[in-house]
Amino acid sequence: MLVPIFTLKLNHKINPRMVTVGKFDGVHPCLAAATQAGKVFIHNPHTRGQRQAAHRLSQSTQDSDISLLNINQAVSCLTAGRLGPNTTGDTLLVGSQTNLLAYDVHDNTDIFYREVADGANAIVLGKLGDIQSPLAIIGGNCALQGFNYEGNDQFWTVTGDNVRSLVLCDFTGDGKNELLVGSEDFDIRVFREDELVSEMAENETVTSLCHMHGSRFGYALANGTVGVYDRTARYWRIKSKNHAMSIHAFDLNADGVVELITGWSNGKIDARSDRTGEVIFKDNFSSSVAGVVEGDYRMDGQVQLICTSVEGEVRGYLPASKEMKGNLMDTSVEQDLIRELSQRKQNLLLELRNYEENAKAAPGASEGDMQMGVIPANTQLQTALSVRAATESQRAHIELSISTPNETIIRAVLIFAEGIFEGESHVVHPSAQNLSGCVRVPIIPPKDIPVDLHIKAFVGGKSSTQFHVFEITRQLPRFSMYDLNVDPLSPKPTGRVTFTINDRPQRVVMWLNQNFLLPEGINSPDVTFTSLRGGGLLIINMQSNGQISLRTDDIDLAGDLIQSLASFLAIEDLQAEADFPTYFEELRGTLTEVDEFHSVHQKLTAAMADHSNHIRNMLVQAEDARLLGDFKTMKKRYIELYDLNRDLINEYKIRSNNHNALLACLKSVNQAIQRAGRLRVGKPKNQVISACRDAIKNNNINALFKIMRAGAPSS
Amino acid sequence: MDLNLNHVDYLQVGVTSQKTMKLLPAIGRKATQKVAVADHDGVVTCFGMKKGEAVPVFKSLPGQKISRLELGGALGTPQEKIFVCSGSEVRGFTKKGKQFLSFEANLTESINAMHVSGADLFVCASYIYNHYCDCKDQDYYLSGDKINDIVCLPVETVGRTVPILACQDRVLRVLQGSELLYDVEVPGPPSVLELHNKDGGKDGEEVLYGTADGKLGLIKIERSAPVTRWEIDNKKKKGGVLCMDTFDILGDGVKDILVGRDDGTVEVYGLDSSGEHTLRFEHVLSESVTSIQGGCVGKETFDEIITTTYTGWVSGLTTEPQQMEAGPGEEVKMSRETQTKVAALRAELEQLQVKVLQGREKYQQSSQSSTAVSAVPVFSINDKFTLCQDDASYSLTLEVQTAIDNLLLQSDVPIDLLDVDKNSAVVSFSECDSEPNGNFLLATYRCQANTTRLELKVRSIEGQYGTLQAYITPRLQPKTCQVRQYQIKPLSLHQRTHTIDQDRPMNTLSLVGQFSFAEIHSWVVFCLPEVPEKTPAGENITFFFQNTFLGTQLEATYCKGEAHFKSDNISTISILKDVLTKEATKRKINLNISYEVNEDSVNHTLRMIHPKLEYQLLLAKKVQLIDALKELQVHEGNADFLIPEYRSILEESTHLLEEYKKQPAHLERLYGMITDLFIDKFKFKGQNVKTKVSLLLEILDNYDLNSLIDFFNEA
Repeated sequence: MLVPIFTLKLNHKINPRMVTVGKFDGVHPCLAAATQAGKVFIHNPHTRGQRQAAHRLSQSTQDSDISLLNINQAVSCLTAGRLGPNTTGDTLLVGSQTNLLAYDVHDNTDIFYREVADGANAIVLGKLGDIQSPLAIIGGNCALQGFNYEGNDQFWTVTGDNVRSLVLCDFTGDGKNELLVGSEDFDIRVFREDELVSEMAENETVTSLCHMHGSRFGYALANGTVGVYDRTARYWRIKSKNHAMSIHAFDLNADGVVELITGWSNGKIDARSDRTGEVIFKDNFSSSVAGVVEGDYRMDGQVQLICTSVEGEVRGYLPASKEMKGNLMDTSVEQDLIRELSQRKQNLLLELRNYEENAKAAPGASEGDMQMGVIPANTQLQTALSVRAATESQRAHIELSISTPNETIIRAVLIFAEGIFEGESHVVHPSAQNLSGCVRVPIIPPKDIPVDLHIKAFVGGKSSTQFHVFEITRQLPRFSMYDLNVDPLSPKPTGRVTFTINDRPQRVVMWLNQNFLLPEGINSPDVTFTSLRGGGLLIINMQSNGQISLRTDDIDLAGDLIQSLASFLAIEDLQAEADFPTYFEELRGTLTEVDEFHSVHQKLTAAMADHSNHIRNMLVQAEDARLLGDFKTMKKRYIELYDLNRDLINEYKIRSNNHNALLACLKSVNQAIQRAGRLRVGKPKNQVISACRDAIKNNNINALFKIMRAGAPSS
Repeated sequence: MDLNLNHVDYLQVGVTSQKTMKLLPAIGRKATQKVAVADHDGVVTCFGMKKGEAVPVFKSLPGQKISRLELGGALGTPQEKIFVCSGSEVRGFTKKGKQFLSFEANLTESINAMHVSGADLFVCASYIYNHYCDCKDQDYYLSGDKINDIVCLPVETVGRTVPILACQDRVLRVLQGSELLYDVEVPGPPSVLELHNKDGGKDGEEVLYGTADGKLGLIKIERSAPVTRWEIDNKKKKGGVLCMDTFDILGDGVKDILVGRDDGTVEVYGLDSSGEHTLRFEHVLSESVTSIQGGCVGKETFDEIITTTYTGWVSGLTTEPQQMEAGPGEEVKMSRETQTKVAALRAELEQLQVKVLQGREKYQQSSQSSTAVSAVPVFSINDKFTLCQDDASYSLTLEVQTAIDNLLLQSDVPIDLLDVDKNSAVVSFSECDSEPNGNFLLATYRCQANTTRLELKVRSIEGQYGTLQAYITPRLQPKTCQVRQYQIKPLSLHQRTHTIDQDRPMNTLSLVGQFSFAEIHSWVVFCLPEVPEKTPAGENITFFFQNTFLGTQLEATYCKGEAHFKSDNISTISILKDVLTKEATKRKINLNISYEVNEDSVNHTLRMIHPKLEYQLLLAKKVQLIDALKELQVHEGNADFLIPEYRSILEESTHLLEEYKKQPAHLERLYGMITDLFIDKFKFKGQNVKTKVSLLLEILDNYDLNSLIDFFNEA
């Protein structure tokens, strides 16, 4: 059994995922972590009693090994590493919702302090692509930004939604690092500098990413899933009812291959084989794990795995010694093997007994057998998917109907599917009076994603206590919420996107049949659908010269359709012309709002500076009055001060509202760029994104819309 | 813990009942003992261990499910004859496996407890006790509630036959002939009885008992009255006791108490220096422990604890150290014994696999035929649905002999499903449509591999009654699922007690009408938990109950045509009135209902709630402060500047948080009950005060006992 080689209790809370180890003086590894009240603490057990407090740094009075760093803002991410070329030690980088601070702990100085409008939800430090110097890359609201040691913005791009996790690794195997971005729209995106290389769709917010080795990386989702990818293929994943707080790659069993170490919200730590996900080691903390890092904390040349809990408990584990032979848990391999084999034997015996007893059962079952849920052996379940338009009592939905061919009844239906229900399953359980051989399940997928429906239906008699379980898997096509029935009166969509492909119309028809829920297939690529979600029309039209036009008011839908079609037809580059008047109008409004918010922001900042001057004056006056014994004036001054304070708080509220509104606008601008990009594929896509970005930087709004419409001129 | 025991698996048989494994007495000094075990397939297996391998002595033919196994023999000789009971039949085997006795007890119910002493045989079915001597009827007794176990004081030492019955209504009944000598109250429903030190101690009068809610104790059954020696509480909320034994595993010359529980815990209690029983060893198996014995099976001179679990694993916790094979080379060496064992198992598996494949094929073929039926035999489920006194919630445990794939929970009453830390299953709540299918809870549990046991917690609300259904699907082909139903009774939080405080102000509800004793009894069974289903003998009956959440009480006295219910909680009376009226109307029985409301009772109940409410409010307040105080502490470096009250909160913070976590929604439940009390008080006066509830909640927010009482009196 592997036991921790050291355990520390730091008496400071640790914010989840905000833990790092850095050699701030170039020699001694220290643990740095964000704690309550906008502070970062640095635990340095190596050089006791040699430090003095100054600037940001102050010694904790509770524990001499800990120094506290005042950030005065809620910390949202933190990392440490070598950023500048000529620094003695590692630089500490602390991100908040508005700023990024690069700090030299050893010299106790700020290296740079930058305002970041999109916030910093995640941070990673390292080399990206061909960029020479290491970058501190932060991910915020839909945007990615990279800073070099001078604080200069060297890298900027947008992504689909708020970034939650970042990691650098050589994904493509070209010897250079790519940036992996996990975001709130459930996607893991891979950027080679600012070019989007790959996208992997998951089914929850991607909360953590970590590099394993080569092109392999681990990921964790907000719903308790952890797993490992190799490039775009998922190796394995497991789901727990707890949440993965932190993941890290570490070779704990000393076999030369790293394992995925996961720290869970219930305080569990486990190490899983990168190939199979099998647990090779586990341990428990009394509270949720905050972060898992590694470092040579004892300075003896061996790197330890360091796990921290939110209550400030720290444990270090050394990789297993040779004697343990990779067996880190307190179990006997032999016992386990025998037990497993016996279990399998028992299972087979039970199955065999089932068949034997079944063979004995005579046809024409008696009443007593009804309890057992005897059903005719030829019972087969029929399932059908169909699109149902909205009625007065029910929203528009896809109907899954499951029925038995004989007098048996369906007691309940369980559907396990990812991403379309609130939980991972949906249950239909009719009351005893409403039992029948047919169950209709309304399904409303919230997004256009292809979903496998794993259906389990309990089939038996009305009074049975045991039922046969039928397990069926049906696939729900990506664009299933679109109905061929069109109301001739509904207005034609104003938005459109046109592009040309070099493929036969039959292939497009194939794509349509595969990705839409069509009752009996179609044979022409010219179709019109009603969207059951928004209600608008979707018109797809293909001309003989290969020009396809999609007409819809939903720019996201157009983007999804193009991406899906392009991957079906294996198109690498696709240029398109687009026009979405309503959306563009909205965007124009948003851009003006952004300007307004900016100016309001400036005004408020000025007002605040004014007020703080007032406060200073008033405080001096009040204190003067107190010293002079003029309590009447003092009281008056303090009442004024109180009023001013109240004003300040109110103003702060306005400021914060203004700031939130600004953030929302910026997010939608970022998303607009992303959307414009998604209407194109491959190179044209990246060109559009970078051209749009330049247009925004130069504040050239007309150019922005031109690019969105016509695409970027290839440079 | 000074005791170190290693877990070794010996053999797997079928599913086992409670107390179905015994060790045969050793022949000669320090030889290994043989194990006799009986299972639900009706097979008695007797085996010994030779060189780590189980060598069968004999194995009987399959038959009806065996519910108990006992050893017997002529008095004064080694007790090595094996007696088993299945259905209403008792069979006897010699240690060589020769059947020498087959005795049909001719009981209408099947035997579930048995004791053998010389030529005397004592058997118990659900409510009936029978004593046979040389297979001739001797005595008979009808118990008031279900009999769980039986034991007799040793005739050799006591000189008379003293049977003791463990009955579900929290009583040990001591018999003399066919008459009740006296009964002994125990703190929970007793589930198992054993003689202390296997012979009842020096006077042969000491009996150990274990209860279904996890407590154990020792009682001396003297000629005229019982003497309680000691009791051990179940503070850690472990499972119920299923089996016990006494054996000196610690090797200190005093026999220790071995305990097996239904949550898989195996415990050893030893006497410490002060003569107190303390826990000396604990080990957790994955399934409920049905039998436990101390002895020597695996290897000579090494004592061990032998257990059987629900799924039939016979295993040992042995003092024999596990040999360390620290041979050269990297490979983990397996001992030759294990190698042959594994090879044999693998061969067996292969054969089985072929057979199963054939069976599968045949089964598939039968689905082509239109006359064949599919009838899969019922798999066995070990389930328990009990009220936990401490947190007034129900715990549901389910255990299946093979791994559970998934579980569907459905309820037609509003209940809360609480998370249990031990569970690893992923729970998912599905949207419920209360109309028209009457579902208030639909939840699925997707289990991890090898989960054979699931534990859930459910919180009910008094007055809301209905059924909770669990659909269990094991991982076994052909897939079937079984449904189990659990009643949520109208007064679900009540528990049987033996006495109540008669001085409290009581409200009375009296019913007079044309109903039979059986009818009124069935209504009481419908309303209250822990009442025996069978109509009690005699003309009239009185039951006492206590509300586990509030501590209020209820007395129910009824006979043919008349019933009286007395409670200090007016809500209890109100619920009873509603339910009983409904039931009577259903059966078209005219009821004459009269009630007597004692005004003082409401204030009395409020005063009873007061300390609980005050404690919870204070706790909530303190917990709210913890984070802020900790932040201040970090900011200032120490906590010396705080007032003592706050300092004490900081010091006790972990304890407070624990306490708070233990009772989720406790405050809301108390509020709910006070609101019910308020509404019910005025309901009896014929006033509807639902409009004033918001006022009441306001008062509760600024809680003060006097103002609350005033509000109750004034409204």
